[in-house]
Amino acid sequence: MSNTVDQTLDELKQALTDGDSNKTATLTRKSLDLGVEPLALIQNVIVPTLTQVGQDFQDFVIFLPELMASGDAAEKATAILEEALASSGQQMTSLGTVVIGTVENDVHDIGKNIVSTLVRAHGFKVVDLGRDVAPSVFLEAAQKEKADIVAMSSLMTTTRPSILSTINLFKEVELRNDYKFIIGGGSVTQVYADEVGADGFAPDAAAAVEVCKAILKK
Amino acid sequence: MQNNILPTIVKRSENGPFTKEADFERALSKRAGELVKQYGIKFNPQTPVPSDNDMADRLYQAGLELFLDLGVYNQTTKRRILFSLDEVLDLMGKVRSSLVLGTGKDMRIMRHRDVEGTTPAVVLSGPTGTPCSEKYHPLILFSCAQEPLVDMLGAGSVSTYMGNQIIPGTPLEILGARRDALVARDAIRKAGRPGMHISDVAVPLTCQGKMAAVDSENGLRPSDAFLVSQMVEMKTDYDQLSRVAYLQSIGMHIVDLMTPLIGGLGGGAEGTAVVTIACHILGVVLYDASYHMMSHTHLHWVNNTDRMGLWMQAMVGQALSRNTAIPALNDIYCVSGAGAEELFWEVAAGALAGTPSGMNMQGAGCTGGFKADATTGLEARFIAEVSHASLGMTRQQANEIVLELLTHYENTFNNPNRGLSFPEVYDENTVEPKENWLEKYYKVKDAIMKMGLDLDGGWKKVKNVQYS
Repeated sequence: MSNTVDQTLDELKQALTDGDSNKTATLTRKSLDLGVEPLALIQNVIVPTLTQVGQDFQDFVIFLPELMASGDAAEKATAILEEALASSGQQMTSLGTVVIGTVENDVHDIGKNIVSTLVRAHGFKVVDLGRDVAPSVFLEAAQKEKADIVAMSSLMTTTRPSILSTINLFKEVELRNDYKFIIGGGSVTQVYADEVGADGFAPDAAAAVEVCKAILKK
Repeated sequence: MQNNILPTIVKRSENGPFTKEADFERALSKRAGELVKQYGIKFNPQTPVPSDNDMADRLYQAGLELFLDLGVYNQTTKRRILFSLDEVLDLMGKVRSSLVLGTGKDMRIMRHRDVEGTTPAVVLSGPTGTPCSEKYHPLILFSCAQEPLVDMLGAGSVSTYMGNQIIPGTPLEILGARRDALVARDAIRKAGRPGMHISDVAVPLTCQGKMAAVDSENGLRPSDAFLVSQMVEMKTDYDQLSRVAYLQSIGMHIVDLMTPLIGGLGGGAEGTAVVTIACHILGVVLYDASYHMMSHTHLHWVNNTDRMGLWMQAMVGQALSRNTAIPALNDIYCVSGAGAEELFWEVAAGALAGTPSGMNMQGAGCTGGFKADATTGLEARFIAEVSHASLGMTRQQANEIVLELLTHYENTFNNPNRGLSFPEVYDENTVEPKENWLEKYYKVKDAIMKMGLDLDGGWKKVKNVQYS
């Protein structure tokens, strides 16, 4: 039995790494049938596998298509596990809720999408608002989703001021201290993050995961 | 097809297959990967400048197939704009192979270039992709415009107007666009080259912002150009297409800007090269572009002077040269900044990979766009010197030198030397490079001359052909 479980979990890891969504779904269900706890699957299989996939992406061993495929496969597995938890009266716990978007007037969203994939894979609930997101939309979403973190991306120096406009709007309505703000993207530096009073700066997607984890530990 | 196909494009934008953007991206990634395998496109890090004509032709076919299969994604309508093979071949057949850019004595002709050919590359310079401060922007532009080997000027981008952050869509965008256009025109006037072609004012992000920079006396003219962008990858929207409508109607040059990401949706160098060919076809079919600005970058380092970036420039250049009449242009984008010796090594590798591969030259993009004002005209001079000296060189010869050049900078990518800002390397009054910057220029120049490139005499190869 134990051998069968180990083999299934190994196969699941491989399916996730390969970004094979259908195989991942089948093996996730098989793992549950074999008695593996949903939370154990998340902690011991999905998170470590996606961490390795994220590292491989960071090291340019794999590229965005492979990362996206693994992210999709992980989402499929997570949906099955959520269902399993719900049917046993439990709930999936997330590390926190992140509302993320590319700031107003900025239409570049590849970097932001990568951050979404990795942060989600590490157990956060991610609400992706897309690109060209107005400050008021960040505010509404943060309130509605009861966000812990508001994450903003800006590629261009010409759109970077929207980061400050967004933080200022939260200040204006006296909600600044209810959320942590992290920022990143091509035009953003630690110096700029300090200037606008962001709580965290991530130079790349892998760092964004660590910043999210660290910021909520504080 | 008619020359003005915008009514057709709008019709297809409104009626083409509805597709979620994420699904379009996944389809593009999948298809690019399949085409890489099907056409046997292979990146070899030991050959940043390949000499494989057959692979270049296969790459072109793969890119054409990708364009026909996927079409173009219109982000406004969330629909795909599709074209038939006959339509694409018809429009590709109408491509202008040479362009008159600028006016009067400062006019230049940008040409379609052959692989290993002797037609000189034109050199476009300016701080495109490198942010500038209001204070130093005029000096940086002048430093480029005054370089005799620089043929055309890119006006670049400043993010403030009188100290205020420019917010797109506001009056400040209009004022900023008009100011930067005037600063560019002033720079070429002061350089004694009033008819020099100006390629874009980058500060405006909206169609109305670009339109505001058109001013025959104090801004851009029809002999100049504006960029119309593709969003990564193979995406457009109505704002970009409206720029096409306006520029076509006033007879102004359109530049097709593409910024493919190596490691992004196309995957590695091979898949991104396939996507980049499709992007050029998009620029012809959708934008009716006069010329194309290929500005691919590494997803993490934001440059194209690494082995994958150089290989892509070389392969895409060769594929376009051998299969189309397009005058292709590559934007040399570096991790280093002005004042850093590495910048000269990087631009030399970029110029050497591109010139025998059929590319025209643009550069230098400095610091991956991370540090303001770290760009000057001196590195543009160096691009021109290396490009002209390498005219007629075989790709194999270029490959050997590029491999040597790489050893001088490729270990800095994870900790790049972002260099110094403009006033630290140029005299602000004379607008001449300071000794600290010139010393590095001469050091790298001497070293490269010892590798066999006649950097002092390369201009002789181009002096009689510019206007012919």
